[in-house]
Amino acid sequence: MSPSSTSTPPRRLELKITSHPANLAAVRKAIEAFAAANGFDAKGVDEIGLCVNEAIANIIRHAYRGQEDRPVHVAAMMEDRDGGTIVVTLRDWGIGIDPSTLPCRVRDPLEPGGIGMICLQQWMDRVTYAAQPDGGMLATMTRRRSRR
Amino acid sequence: MAESKDISTVVPNIRHAGDAVVATLRGEIDLHNSPSVRSALLKFLDENKPKKLVLNLGQVPYMDSSAIAVLVEALQKMRKTGGKIYLTNLQPRVKGLLEIARLDSIFSVVATEEDALK
Repeated sequence: MSPSSTSTPPRRLELKITSHPANLAAVRKAIEAFAAANGFDAKGVDEIGLCVNEAIANIIRHAYRGQEDRPVHVAAMMEDRDGGTIVVTLRDWGIGIDPSTLPCRVRDPLEPGGIGMICLQQWMDRVTYAAQPDGGMLATMTRRRSRR
Repeated sequence: MAESKDISTVVPNIRHAGDAVVATLRGEIDLHNSPSVRSALLKFLDENKPKKLVLNLGQVPYMDSSAIAVLVEALQKMRKTGGKIYLTNLQPRVKGLLEIARLDSIFSVVATEEDALK
């Protein structure tokens, strides 16, 4: 992982990792620290961290089908719009499935799976997926600092 | 940056209390170590078949959905044999995740081990 942050508070954070699950915690904590430094409250920090965890876990499990040595690029940016908005992007080079196109169904709490997508829907303001010309997907998640 | 998380750091203590078993989990549980937690927990349930399993999560500040899936699998296994799982000492982040997954009403969530053992 190669972090690069500049000023205080940092406006941008970039992390390049492999798809090994052992990297999840460090990325989550780096994103949480970035959000906290940019004024998100504790609840917001926790929720953003979990969403990033879940999105990367989805990449590992689905886009890379469990392969642990594939690239994942994570970036977080703080933008001024809407009173301060965090934008987190996740780039993979996997099989290119857009999770938002998967069929919706009423979720049985006792059925495994789907919790990560619920977190993303509930705790982020917007999540988009864009297929990339060289393969894989770019996921973009945004959340306002003033979200209630 | 990969760090190894042995199961012993996640399930450091299992004790019997009558027909109940109390397991104290410790540490953050995510996709990296949840497979180990799953193996240990399901193996323990297979071998011991407790009527009541009390999972003390007071030292688990963080779980992701893969850890929740392990809890659900253990719950289903216990239900097949008429057993029950109690979750105690939930930390705020874990509680929040259980709530958003609508699992807070499916597990028996109580404040302390003592409440679960009553």
